[in-house]
This record gives sequence, structure tokens and C-alpha cells, in this order.
Amino acid sequence: MDHAPTRSSRPALDDLRRSLHTPLERIAVEHADLVATVRQRVLAGESMPSGAVPVAAFNSSI
Amino acid sequence: MACRCGSPGSGGSCRRISQFVLKVHSRCDLSCDHCYVYQHADQTWRGRPVRMPPATVRAAAKRIAEHAREHDLPVVHVVLHGGEPLLLGAAGLREVLADLRAVIAPWTRLDLRIQTNGVLLDEELCGVLVDHDVRVGVSFDGDRAANDRHRVFAHGGSSHDHVRRALALLRQPAHRASYAGILCTVDVRNDPDRVYEALLAEHPPRVDLLLPHATWDRPPDRPGDTATPYADWLGRIHRRWVDDGRPVSIRLFEALRPGGGGTEAFGLAPADVLVVEADGTWEQVDSLKTAYHGAAGTGFDVFGQSVDEAARHPGVTVRQAGVAGLSATCRACPVVDRCGGGLYAHRWRTGSGFDNPSVYCADLRRLIDTVAAYPPPGHAAGSAPPERDDWPVDELLDELATGHESERTLDLLAATQLSITRALLAAWREKTGPTAAWELLAHLDGAAPDAVRAVLTHSFVRPWLVRRLGPSTRSGPPRAADPLPALAVVAALRAGVPAALSVPVRAGTIMLPTLGSLALPYAGGESVDVTVLPGGFRVGDGPAEQVVSLDPAGPPPAGWRPTRRVPVPGRHLLIEDGDPHRDCYGQPVASRLDDGAARALGRTLADAWGVVHRDVPAHAAALDAGLRAVVPLTPDPTRPLRSATARDAFGAVAVTPTADPEAMAVLLVHEWQHAKLGAVLDLYDLVEPNSATRIRVPWRPDLRPPEGVLQGVYAHLAVTQVWRSRADADRPEHQDAPAHAARYLSWTRDGADALLASRTLTPAGDRFVGRLRHALEETRVGPG
Repeated sequence: MDHAPTRSSRPALDDLRRSLHTPLERIAVEHADLVATVRQRVLAGESMPSGAVPVAAFNSSI
Repeated sequence: MACRCGSPGSGGSCRRISQFVLKVHSRCDLSCDHCYVYQHADQTWRGRPVRMPPATVRAAAKRIAEHAREHDLPVVHVVLHGGEPLLLGAAGLREVLADLRAVIAPWTRLDLRIQTNGVLLDEELCGVLVDHDVRVGVSFDGDRAANDRHRVFAHGGSSHDHVRRALALLRQPAHRASYAGILCTVDVRNDPDRVYEALLAEHPPRVDLLLPHATWDRPPDRPGDTATPYADWLGRIHRRWVDDGRPVSIRLFEALRPGGGGTEAFGLAPADVLVVEADGTWEQVDSLKTAYHGAAGTGFDVFGQSVDEAARHPGVTVRQAGVAGLSATCRACPVVDRCGGGLYAHRWRTGSGFDNPSVYCADLRRLIDTVAAYPPPGHAAGSAPPERDDWPVDELLDELATGHESERTLDLLAATQLSITRALLAAWREKTGPTAAWELLAHLDGAAPDAVRAVLTHSFVRPWLVRRLGPSTRSGPPRAADPLPALAVVAALRAGVPAALSVPVRAGTIMLPTLGSLALPYAGGESVDVTVLPGGFRVGDGPAEQVVSLDPAGPPPAGWRPTRRVPVPGRHLLIEDGDPHRDCYGQPVASRLDDGAARALGRTLADAWGVVHRDVPAHAAALDAGLRAVVPLTPDPTRPLRSATARDAFGAVAVTPTADPEAMAVLLVHEWQHAKLGAVLDLYDLVEPNSATRIRVPWRPDLRPPEGVLQGVYAHLAVTQVWRSRADADRPEHQDAPAHAARYLSWTRDGADALLASRTLTPAGDRFVGRLRHALEETRVGPG
């Protein structure tokens, strides 16, 4: 009964590579954790708490 | 993201909590002798209601929703826990889940989970869990002997068959989406090989291995002569797992790898979790119950105190202090970034409290070394498929830090971006349910994978999905249309597969990503039927129908605005001035260019491509490998040369159209560095999250967050290399190159040094910037 709640973490490289070889229709099932992690990481700033730079727009000043 | 919690009177600093454990039932149908709830120091369960009353569920949900709203949280995770939460029964569970969804879901995405022993799981309960999109973790310790060493009924009977039956139910296709994984508590008296094999036999999406709870007052059992039996036991499983090609995600091992992200038990990331007990009291993390009676208490409850108030409890805040919250021994330890001091509860010792290393310190140190050392360099995992070869983090980041990557690394970055888009697409399918567009795209993914890949690597598919999947915008622009029909139609067109779908219309136009857009000749309607034909498509039917031929040699179809293509070595680059989701750069994007302007920009881009090849071949290889589209920005006479990159739009950069290929070359190199680093940051944390530090940089007047400094430094490294190359070439048109090179060198060096001194980088980030700094010195003394 010792369940550490899922912490938002990065998608693992191995998972990302493996999922590329999974048919689209099976990704949600076979890579459910990856989908959850990607959602957490990518969607609307969750991966980008204070101090992150979601859009890098720099004057190039050349 | 703006956070409203800093208003006067809120008190203290912003402390977001995104994970909540709800003790919906405080009794259990098993009698496991290693359970911290009933068998360890804390006995507060005795005074609590058997189940969480509905009014308490609703009060907790309101507090969570209030917190999500105040902090604009994009997601909250709620774990139903106990005791045994399935003791609620199907009706009780349905009621709790409905209440949580009704109160929380209007404000944020609600990720629901349940942790169960599985004994009671049946078809009906599975149906409830699937219907409410709840993901299920099952506690299971492996083979029969291992599981039944602790997980038994009160009468001493085995739970093994019951749990295996539950796992079999979760594997069924109808329930598989709710199968989160298995939680296995380690007992070193068990055979690690048999435990590993038993866990794999259940085909879980993920396994987590937990050290049994112990403290310095109550140390773990250490049978045998070895000093580190837990590291040895886990090391054996790690070796099997690596040799087998890592057939399943094992959270503990992944968390301990460099850049592994951590869990509550490892790493330095803040612990943002609160527990709601069955009586509504706010508690700290549950495992503290192993330390002493009442250890997890806060004195607060959901009726009287908000999440913010509970989060300011000292026991919660200390868990968010990173390395500063650890003992002196831990702070001085070279692997503190991996271990993070271990699970907080395991540090307890009467007298010194939690100001100690973990009681498992020696095991953790040895296990970290084991995970780092195996497989050794050159080791070929026996049954690992070739696509799963190892990518040591250090090697990957070292290469990227120099700005001179191998083709293999660049391909890997692009592949991870495609994989992320596919995962988002799968999330979108989960949200919408089956549709004709999805069925077509899924079919083409098998029948014509190159066609699907061509459309899913379009830079603006991910921004499209992010807008649809992100938290509902209660203010701001309206939601984008369903992306799937247009993507499926484009894939079918590319594959030459007949198909018919209804495609959303926006402002009288349908957008076909990578191909172009069609302005419909008639107004009205939110969607239009599109039929894929050989070499083109038909829109509408009856008298209003229009056939669009995509044959470039044919006459231009009425209303069709093709995406223009610029030939560059080996392929084409898109001038993307039509896709509405290109508007993701935080500055105005240009409307569709007229033909003359598009031709001029095309010439500049093609020439700039040649300039990059001439000046910095390594960066040209990076552009060749990944840049697919250029978005024109709206010209601004006061800032004629601007450029931008969007984190979600890998493969594209935005630039102000300029006629100067030498200037455009610098813009492209600069922005592509941002694109590469953005892709890296999708994979690795290089900067400590939530750092409030701001850093002064020489290239801007304002103080910058550490990630902004990192982005600037990385882009300026490449620009330094461009100007260094031009300076060395000593061309008449580049007499100012030495001055530019010196200026960018100085900016990059000062920025990198400021970052290294800021203590805001993760260990991986420290290494990355250190390597970058070294690459800069090489630039200083030689050609770029």
C-alpha cells in the first residue's frame, strides 16, 4: 500500500524510441505512461514552472 | 504562466501542490505485516472513519479545485488510496470519482489514479475505473513465495491468486488503458530472479520497486554477511533487466540514472504532495507514518484550511528545499543529485529527527554505482533489439554542448520530437474516442508509414495538439479545430489512398498541413466533406463541389494556396505562411506573402543555406538534418532583423524577411541552436525547476531566468563560431567579423560563467555548460 504518487518527470529516451515502432493505435495502451509523461511535460507549462522559457524569442542583434 | 497566489494576504511564497492522495477507505482486506499504515509506529488510523464521507470528498475536491484555479495548474494528480480503496465498492467508487470530476475537472486536467491490492477487482470495478479514466497501480511482490511472505489475509491465507486474477483483468483489451503498473516491495530474502520473472509475466506497463520502510530507530533486516544486501538484490534485477533489453519501464532504475528525474524516494526535485485522510485532515506524505505516531500530521483539515495553508506547513516546505533540506552528510555526497537523501521517512532517528542520511545510505550509494556501471561501455545487451541501443546521457549532452553533433544525435533528437507528437496524438484520441479520421490515420500508419511521418513531422502539428489538449482557456482565443481530419487527409493524399472525411473549416478556409490551404467559394458551415482523389481532392458535393488538382504543372486551382517550397541541398524547405498554428512565436507572424515576396525570401534562404555551409559546415549539417520550415514574421522597421523559435514547433524557425543571405545565415544558425536545445529540454532537466534566481547577461538589459540564459549562451556559441570563421577567412565584406566574433565570444563566456556560478543548473546542466564553455575556448583559438 506504499504508493509514491507519480512525479512529473521527463519522457525516457528508450520509451520514446520504442514507441516510434508501435502502431499509432496501440501507443495509448502500450505506452500509457509515456503518454501521461508527455502530457505532463509538454502541455501548457507544466514542464515549465517559473523561470522557464517556453518561447525563445531573441533579438539576434547581428 | 501567471499565478494568482501572490496576492496580498496570501502569505509566504507560492507553493504549488499537484499531487493529492485521498484516503477514501481506511481499512484493508489484507493483513500485510510490512504495511506502514497498520503495522508501524503511527496508529492514527484507529480513530478515523472507515470510509471518507461524501461531504469530505467534496470538501477535498473543492480545496484541490481552488488550488488549481489559483495557481493555474495544468494538471492535478489524485490518487485514491487507503487502506484499500476498492472496499468502497463499485457504487461508492463511482460516487467518489464523479464528485472529483465534477468539482476539479472544470479547472484543470484531472489525472486519476488508484493504488490497490487488487483482491476485490472484478469486471464491474474495472468498468468503473475505465469509464472514469482511472489508472490502476497494483501492489504485488512477485512469485507466490515472495508475495505471500507478507501479502496475506488476516487468516494467513495467500493473496497471490487473487492479485494475479486482478492483473489478468487489467491486461484485457477493454481495461488495458487503465493498467498503470505494479508496485513491488523488496524483501531480500526473496529470489530476485524469480521476483523479476513473476513481475514481467504480468506484462505491466511499468514496475516500481520499493525499499521496505525502515528508520534509524528501526533499521531494515539485513540477513547474511553483506553490508549492502538491498543494493546487491536490486543490482541483480538491474543486470537482468539491462541484459533483457529493458523490456519494461522500471521506475527505480530509471530514476537513478543520470538525469533520471527522480521519484519521491530519489532525487532532489521538490515533493509536491499532500494527503487527505478519511476524516479530512491534511497530512504530509504517507510514508512518514513509519517514523513515529502522528509524524505525518499537520493539524489542518480540508474544512478549515486551504491547500496553500497546508503547503506552508514546515514538514511540507522542507521537502521542497532541494539539497538545502538535506543533512550535512548528504550535502557533501558526490551522488546527492541521484539519491536526494533517499525517502524522507527513511532518514528518521529519534533525537536528530530527519537530519540524517537514509538508513539505506550504503545500499543507495552502491546501487547508484551499479546502475551507472552496468552495462559497461561496449556491452551488447543479449536480446535487446537494435533500435534500443544505449544512449548514455553524458555522451549525448557532451556532443550537443559543443554545437557540433553527429548525424546520429541529430536524428535522435528529431525522432524524439516525432515520438512526442505521436504520444500527444494518442492522448487526443483518448480524449475524443474513436473517429473516422483517427481510424484512417491509424490505418495509414501501418499501410503508408512514410506518408504519416511526413505529416506528423510538420512543425505545427504539436502546437495544434497542445492547444487542444491544454487546460481549457477560460479567457483567450477560442480552441483550435480538431486536428485529426486534416492530418488524415494529408496522409491519405501523400499515400495516394482514397478516403473521404469531414474537415473543419476556419474562416472559410480548410488547412491541409504541409500542402496548403483552400479558400472555399461559399460561406457557412463548420466543416466540409473532402474526398481524396488520385493527384488531388474534391471538396463538397453536388453543385458546390470543387476538385483541386495538386499537379504543380497544371493550372492553379481556384482558391488553392499551396505551401511554397524552397530547394535546399537534398530536399525542400517550406515557407510556412498559411498554417494558423504557426502563430506561436510571441510576436506577429506575417500574412501570406505575395508571390514576389515569397520568391525573394526563397532566394535569400537558398543563398543563406550556402553561406552556412561555407562558414560553419557542422551547423549546416544540423540545419540539413532538421530545419523544415521558415515562418515569415511581420516586418518592423524599428527592428528589421528578428528571429524566433517556439519550443513546441521543432523543425521551424521564424524570421523577418531580409534580402541579405549573410544576415539570414546567422539568424538560421542562431535559431536552430534554440530548436535543438528546446528538444534537449524536452528530454533532460538542465536547469533546476522553480528557481527564482535571475541572472544579469551582457546581451540584454533585463535580468533573465536561468533557462533564458542557457538558451542565449547556446545560441551565441554558434554565432561566435560563425563570426570566428568569417574573421579567419578575412573576406573584404566581413572586415567587421573580428569585432563581432570578440563580442559574441565575450557574451557567451560571461553568460556561461554566470550560469555556472548561479547554482541553478542540475548536475547534467552543469556538465553541459562546462562542455559548452570548453567548446568556446576552442572557438577562441581556432576556426569555428
